[in-house]
Amino acid sequence: MPKQKLAMVIDSTNCLDCKGCMAACKVANNVPDGEWRNWIKGSDPQRRAGKPVVFQPGNCMQCDKPTCVTACPTGATYKNEADGTVVINRTLCIGCGQCLAACPYGARFKNKDLGVADKCDFCAERRALGLEPACVSTCPTKSRKFGDLNDPSSEVAKLMKSGKPVQIANEKTKTDPNIYYLGETGPADWTVAAKMPDAFDFWRGLADPVVKVVVGLSGLGVLAMLGKQLIMPKDAPPEEHKDRKEAGHE
Amino acid sequence: MLKRSLTFILALCMVLTSLGVSFALDADGNSRKGKYLFRKSCRSCHAEGQKAKDLSPVDMTQAQWKKAFADYKKLPCYGNWKNVKEKDIKDIYSYMYNHAKDSPSPAKCK
Amino acid sequence: MPSPSEFRVSRRGFLKLSGAATAAAALGGSGHLTPVKTAQAGTKLESGFESKFTVCDMCFNKCSAIARVVDGKVQKLDPNPKFLKSRGMLCAKGNAGVRQLYDPNRLKYPLLRVGARGEGKWKRISWSEALDLAAEKMKAIGQKYTRCGFMFMAGADMQSTYVHRFAKAYGSYNTLSHESQCLIAGTRAFLDTFGEVPIPDMLFAKYCLMMGANRFESLVTPDSIDMMTAMKQDMKLVVMDPRYTKTAAKAHEYYPIKPHSDMAVMLAIAHVLIKEGLYDQEFVAQKTYGIEQLSKHVEQYTPEWAAGESDVPAEAIVKIARELGAAKPAAMVYPGRRSSNYKDSTQVRRSFAIVNALLGNWDRPGGLTAARMVGLAGGVPLEEPFYENNPPDRIDAGKATLMFPEEGSFKLARDAVLEGKPYPVKGFFCYHSNPMQTVANRAKTVEMFNGMDFVMVMDVAMSDTAYMADLVLPSQSYLERLDPCSAQQGSSACACVVMRDPVVKPMFEAKPALWVMQELAGRLELGKHFDFTVEDFRKAQLKGLPGALEALKKDGVYYNPSKLYGVYEGKIYKTKTHKIELYNERYAEMGVDPMPVYKKHEEPGANRFRLVVGRNAIITQSSSTSNSLLMQFQADNALWLNPKPAKELGIEDGDWVKVQSPAGQQWIKAKVTDMTRPDTVYMDTGFGVLSKQLAIHGKGACIAEVLVDDFDRISGNMAMHETFVTVSKEAA
Repeated sequence: MPKQKLAMVIDSTNCLDCKGCMAACKVANNVPDGEWRNWIKGSDPQRRAGKPVVFQPGNCMQCDKPTCVTACPTGATYKNEADGTVVINRTLCIGCGQCLAACPYGARFKNKDLGVADKCDFCAERRALGLEPACVSTCPTKSRKFGDLNDPSSEVAKLMKSGKPVQIANEKTKTDPNIYYLGETGPADWTVAAKMPDAFDFWRGLADPVVKVVVGLSGLGVLAMLGKQLIMPKDAPPEEHKDRKEAGHE
Repeated sequence: MLKRSLTFILALCMVLTSLGVSFALDADGNSRKGKYLFRKSCRSCHAEGQKAKDLSPVDMTQAQWKKAFADYKKLPCYGNWKNVKEKDIKDIYSYMYNHAKDSPSPAKCK
Repeated sequence: MPSPSEFRVSRRGFLKLSGAATAAAALGGSGHLTPVKTAQAGTKLESGFESKFTVCDMCFNKCSAIARVVDGKVQKLDPNPKFLKSRGMLCAKGNAGVRQLYDPNRLKYPLLRVGARGEGKWKRISWSEALDLAAEKMKAIGQKYTRCGFMFMAGADMQSTYVHRFAKAYGSYNTLSHESQCLIAGTRAFLDTFGEVPIPDMLFAKYCLMMGANRFESLVTPDSIDMMTAMKQDMKLVVMDPRYTKTAAKAHEYYPIKPHSDMAVMLAIAHVLIKEGLYDQEFVAQKTYGIEQLSKHVEQYTPEWAAGESDVPAEAIVKIARELGAAKPAAMVYPGRRSSNYKDSTQVRRSFAIVNALLGNWDRPGGLTAARMVGLAGGVPLEEPFYENNPPDRIDAGKATLMFPEEGSFKLARDAVLEGKPYPVKGFFCYHSNPMQTVANRAKTVEMFNGMDFVMVMDVAMSDTAYMADLVLPSQSYLERLDPCSAQQGSSACACVVMRDPVVKPMFEAKPALWVMQELAGRLELGKHFDFTVEDFRKAQLKGLPGALEALKKDGVYYNPSKLYGVYEGKIYKTKTHKIELYNERYAEMGVDPMPVYKKHEEPGANRFRLVVGRNAIITQSSSTSNSLLMQFQADNALWLNPKPAKELGIEDGDWVKVQSPAGQQWIKAKVTDMTRPDTVYMDTGFGVLSKQLAIHGKGACIAEVLVDDFDRISGNMAMHETFVTVSKEAA
């Protein structure tokens, strides 16, 4: 089976901020009360003369360079090569929460019922049963288009060609997301730089110089030995022999 | 002089009424009762599959109902109206007129 | 991969499929050993789920939807992709329907009040006790006060027809619904102009002037969706609203119009259209009556004058008129829906209707279309009895010039009940409606209930109206119900029929309204009027539509591909002159202004504000607020207050303030925002509930308590925007 690159192409200008996608996702994925797998940015529009306001729907970007995967200590989260989604294996997840801060989009949360990390997975169960992701089908204005970018006949592939799709990206952390926005995106400066786990940084910060020093020292040592071999003459007599000779060896 | 004129007018009215020339009916009878009476008296014939045309108030305009009832004794089915009292006819007419096709008929939202 | 339109796929088939998918996922993943596990917490959609059609009941739109059911439990409500009226969508409220069904606080069995009315103390009783009691009360009240002494109210529900049927069989003329709280002034105005209430053909419009309607938040299908599509196809949207709603936020142009000046703007637009010859002269000449009178009448209503009244700049009014004229006939003044605003709302809406008539958009693409033929018959006919000792008419008869006899006016009926004139009304039955939260001047509603001998309410949850009852009956939620057919008008989207079959078994002792009416009828010797099942009723409704039942079972909807445009070719208009009336002859005869006449209106003035009513996409009905899913989006309301007066009053964002009118007062959090005019305040409906059995109890404030109850003089529509309030940050 050829590899899929599942993605969404969203037209934010269609979005009415009706919360349909958020409600649908919650029900479809048993997301605990107060937690969300998806969102709409820019909900409280202060009066803005001239241009219409743009609301921005979004969810886990299923990035191609996912910082959350790097931050995971157990390998519970990984990029599913078959369809391009970033997956959480709930059995392996220890609920350390490091992946949450590693996401520039705040797409992950700790599921308080399950004690593990949770996020949008493009409704994997629904897809397996032949249904569209809940947010996609429920949207009144069909703002979210979903499909396989590797399939040139898919709606999303066509939109990528015909439209001018952009990604919402963080300046410092570039993860190559798979959610594209057509035209006006709405708010674009809400992402945060990935915060990689403290332990990771600590050990990297500590181990790095320590290792460097140790390696450096041993390197020096080797060089010294080598240098000594080269510079010093071979089979140099020991000092006491010299002493003994001088002392009236006859 | 005045008394004579008045007497004459009164006499004329009585004569005219007795000759069965009715002034146009007013539509200020009891429409609700008229609805009930229409069903009781008229629907047996004026319904789908029955002797006469299926009839309901919205089938005619107010002007058409007014004309029809202006001289209701000339209506083809008047012969069947023997047992319908004058007051009842007024109520039936009120029902038809007040709910005619172009009346301020109630319209419900979807 | 099976498509969503295939239903009842076998367990085996799906097990195979999901197994294959999981295996594929397992094999495809790199660096892991075990396949991805499905969630343990809560059940989810799994292979072998059933898909069943239903019709949403979370608002009045009645979107066809598909319930995904596993082991007799609804897991998800999905849109019906074949339902054209909703364009295959299901909004947040629709998705939240599962939480209404499984609401732990919902009514489970009949309850009898013990303790004082409104105290919230109940005793569980059996259905037979409840029905015996209700029938006994109906008999007693009927005998003592005539049958009209018992009032019946039912809201926008597919079984409401049975409540009204019962009222007729029982003999009460006093029937009410939510409609006199909503749109009857607009209905009146368009009936009295076009002879029928139009359906806007939004999809093909090129220009839409929206006066106060908030279609991107108050969702109406297909209008709300088609409006966005049309805008993508170059339809220009201009919004005039005292609030910067989401509709205003997404419009091409927005004007913060002064409340109650809409008529001024409309008359000025008419003035420009006529003066500059921009109206459809051929259409007007052929199909309308009164252009001469109208032309003369609007001479005085100049754009400059209207600017003074409305705060909409004169240049804008002229420009909009010219743009409407250029875009016609695919140009419209959106008719709107809720018209429960002013004493002269019918005349205000008449001005909307008149401008539409001048644009010649009637019966044409992108304009206002006539109702399409759906073909649904009336169901099992009722041989309505007549009770000789009844009073001549309903209790509010004659109190408004052109009332709709079946609708009346809740406001005027309530006043009459409180007065005890022209006759006493001592009993009340309410189904699927919540006047305690939605009707202006809550204190009067409470007083009305307190003065009654017997109040019975049937609902899914303990609404505030149920909370005030003597007898509370648990209604099935829509997902448990077998309901008759309902016809829907969707302009160019469709003309269709939907019906509701239950998707799950009824829970607890909940019953449908038809059953209750039948049981009561049986006890009152009116059984013959209810001698049918829902299936019988549907059969009668569908008798003229062969194949409809099959379509409904297969697709969840039946479409009648009936004529859309040009319906009125060769036909008369159902007005007095049989033409579209710019000048209304009947009004003239009755001493009512035959054309809208602008009157200067009282303004709130210094230190007062006008309180206006509105909706948003999440909590559109008063019942939506206590839905546990929707509460996660909004669990509170606040009073929108402009920063300028807020500063003068020393009020900051988040402060507790007292909002007070002659009707009542409430404490509420202030939301200081420039999204409302300085003279206008706003709060969402559905909060500040009395009922302790609602999840939203203790949150927010009740707008019904503060709204002043006035009425539109022509239709009797409630007029809620005549409310002037003070807002103060009083020391505790």
